Amino acid sequence: MKSADQLGSATIGQGMNRMSGFLKFGSFLALLFFPALAMAAGGAETQAMSVEYRDVPGIGSRNLIWIVAQQHLLLAGFVLGVPIFAWVCEVVGWKTKEPRYDKLAKEFTKLLTSAYATTALFGGILLFLLIGLYPKLMAYLTDMFFPSFLVYCLLFLLETATLYMYWYGWDYMQGNKKTFHLFLGFLLNLFALGIMAVPNSWATFQASPVVLGEGDAWARAWMAMQNPTWMPVNIHRLIANVVLGGFIVGAYAGIRYLLAVSREEREHYDWMGYVGNFIGVFGMLPLPFAGYWLMREVYQYNQQMGITLMGGFLAWLFILQAMLIGVLFLGANYYFWMGITYRIPGSENQYKKPVMAMLIVLLLCLGIWMTPHSLVASLAEAQKMGGTHHPLLGVFGVMSAKMTVSNIMILVTFMSFIMYWRAGKQETAGWAKAAKAIMGGLLVIAGIAVVVLGVWGYFVPAIIRINYFSVAQVLIVLFIMITFTPLTAVLMKSAKTTTEMVWGKMPIRAGYSLVLNAVMVILLMSLMGYARSSSRVHWHIYGVMRDTSEYAYSPALGYAAAFMSLNTFVFCLIVAFIFWVATLGDKAKAQPPRGSTVGIPGHSAPAMAGGAPRAGEKLE
Amino acid sequence: MAKQSFAKSILKKTTVGIVVGVILVVAAQATHFPPVFQIMFFLYAMLGSLVFILLDAPPMNRLEGVKAVGALVVFYLLLSGLYIAGASILPQFDPEDEKGKIEKVLKLRRAQTELGKADELIARAKQLDERAKAITKQLSSLGADAKVEVASTTSAAGGGAASGDLVALGKEQWELQECYNCHKLYGQGGKKRGPEMDNIGNLMTFEQLKEKIIDPKSWKAEGFDKDYEKGKMPDKYKDLMFPQEIDALVAFLVTLKDTSVNTPKPIKMN
Repeated sequence: MKSADQLGSATIGQGMNRMSGFLKFGSFLALLFFPALAMAAGGAETQAMSVEYRDVPGIGSRNLIWIVAQQHLLLAGFVLGVPIFAWVCEVVGWKTKEPRYDKLAKEFTKLLTSAYATTALFGGILLFLLIGLYPKLMAYLTDMFFPSFLVYCLLFLLETATLYMYWYGWDYMQGNKKTFHLFLGFLLNLFALGIMAVPNSWATFQASPVVLGEGDAWARAWMAMQNPTWMPVNIHRLIANVVLGGFIVGAYAGIRYLLAVSREEREHYDWMGYVGNFIGVFGMLPLPFAGYWLMREVYQYNQQMGITLMGGFLAWLFILQAMLIGVLFLGANYYFWMGITYRIPGSENQYKKPVMAMLIVLLLCLGIWMTPHSLVASLAEAQKMGGTHHPLLGVFGVMSAKMTVSNIMILVTFMSFIMYWRAGKQETAGWAKAAKAIMGGLLVIAGIAVVVLGVWGYFVPAIIRINYFSVAQVLIVLFIMITFTPLTAVLMKSAKTTTEMVWGKMPIRAGYSLVLNAVMVILLMSLMGYARSSSRVHWHIYGVMRDTSEYAYSPALGYAAAFMSLNTFVFCLIVAFIFWVATLGDKAKAQPPRGSTVGIPGHSAPAMAGGAPRAGEKLE
Repeated sequence: MAKQSFAKSILKKTTVGIVVGVILVVAAQATHFPPVFQIMFFLYAMLGSLVFILLDAPPMNRLEGVKAVGALVVFYLLLSGLYIAGASILPQFDPEDEKGKIEKVLKLRRAQTELGKADELIARAKQLDERAKAITKQLSSLGADAKVEVASTTSAAGGGAASGDLVALGKEQWELQECYNCHKLYGQGGKKRGPEMDNIGNLMTFEQLKEKIIDPKSWKAEGFDKDYEKGKMPDKYKDLMFPQEIDALVAFLVTLKDTSVNTPKPIKMN
């Protein structure tokens, strides 16, 4: 099924066991206490199996699986991303004694209970559909991974129990018990990590199966799990889930901001949008590195698969990906720049020129990122051009150029944040001037070093470039981020506020830019799911089990894009429903009376707070 | 006043965007970029100018209630429409190509009669081979060494219709099973995981090659100890391929006798 397993298999894994907790608990007990019975039944079933595929009239089995699997995957990303977001907010609230962070964390944890059930519901539907529509593949995977199913069930039980304690114990575990509550949040994320990693192994095995050695069922399942793309996908998805969580929170805040009728609401959702965007952006910064590692593993595992993705029939997909990422970077930076203009009045003139320069750099980088290595051209066009590599722009198509521009885009985005942080403040420390000069110097050196390494990369063997130059570029950017953040924090601690942060004054296009960022992330996740599944071409399990169904071929890009848009729309509707249901109870509560204190994060709050008005400050 | 100034800003930035776009298109035409890229360059310049315009745009009036929701839906539809249009404008691969390849792969499995054909070809090839050997032996006994080669060449040519088909089928299997991912041949393909194959026909017999494909642990290529230990060559082919397909692949491999390529020496392992 490039078909089912196509997009589905990306999620076969995750879908497989996301039945309701109750059903799983029953299955788990049955398997635990009657293993012999379960195995025997499995054996008989395999023998009796004669149907390889079933179809669904009209929509087709692949399309149905595609929709359900995509919904399940996106919801799973949401359910795994939001706890990270909530926990980070809770930790920040605990450290800074800012109650609004705790409130924000609780507000989003509340969503988890309904989102969790919806995710499990789609997981259950996906599982039933896969068993029914692709029985042969499912029998094979079950045979290979059965022990990991048990581990998955156990993790799901632990996750469910921890979530209940985390959510229902929120108010109870305040004060002295707060640290235990934070520990529960940590456990929640730890189990969630396992819940993500185990099914990832099923899906990645389909793309990069390994030759299994001798051993019992557990040993063989473990060998199959440790396939070459498992860990890169784990890391990539973990980071992507943080990004998804952050930007969905941002989009929620953006929509509520657009619909807000009172000033208090606007202030609250403006701030929430800022926090969501902040976390989304910070998750986004290391994402290209993780993607690079994944592609490197793909190439090392199977050169043909890498070529299919980057230079074969899917090559244009990466142009589309570059556009989406470019728009996402532009959207995220734009939101920061608007924050400088509208939340910190008077700062816009100070930063107008740097903003213009940053925008030009971002656009140039985007242009290079979307330049393909070999241009898809007809024979006549290629002859005119002198080959499939363009004589001038062909140099931008290689990884050396891509890595360089992605690092620069990350640097620019980081600097947008630093600018936002510093806007409206005057440093008072005696060493501030020297510190700023050092930071400026370091930034210039870092920029030059990244470009020099990128250019030098053309003249050294690929192995040197990949193992040393690309790593050095990443380390340079990380060094800037790691040194600038605490240095700026120390500078801002003693800084004098020249312009107070004003919340709720952002123009409505700020709300739309938050929605845009979320849509871009969802489309990106859908696109990458399509890429990863299509890279297996007509295999259920690459090189091992062929897809012999009528849907074995890869759908064309335009058709796939329409499906991705549909999936994104459906997902947004589901999330909107979840938010609506979860906030039904709040609607009954009265709005805070005018003149009451609001818990907007304080002046001394960390970067994430965005330098808000002092806590307890009265709103007029 | 603000509106007038914004209108001026739009006009100015749009003009700059168009000028930059046109310059890009002309440059792209001059350097023979395919038309789709010329369009992309222009759209790229317009995207830049849109962001510049939005940077200075004055705040719009707030929408409320249904209007606000409607605006959001329109915004999503706009994004969606741009995305689908963008993906559709890009050159599309034709799924029919892949369908053709799949059909080729599955042909044997779907039509058992094809198997009979392969069987017949193998039998004929073996028969001709034995006949050639017999003639060679006969000529040798007569002391006509010089003619042996001619005889065996004639024999091979005589069997061309049959063994040639088999070799072609084998070459097709080389492509379909994607052996080139790990083995270099005719200067193409990978060679990190497996040896170059150009001279394998001089180093291994039909039966030995067949054994290696069915049981990868049975032979090791000299210098590939680590890959052998790691089991880089998959043991899936005995399950994945019909015996006739393996025979055809082997029949192709034994024809590879390019001594100018240093194919590593095979070592029998078990």
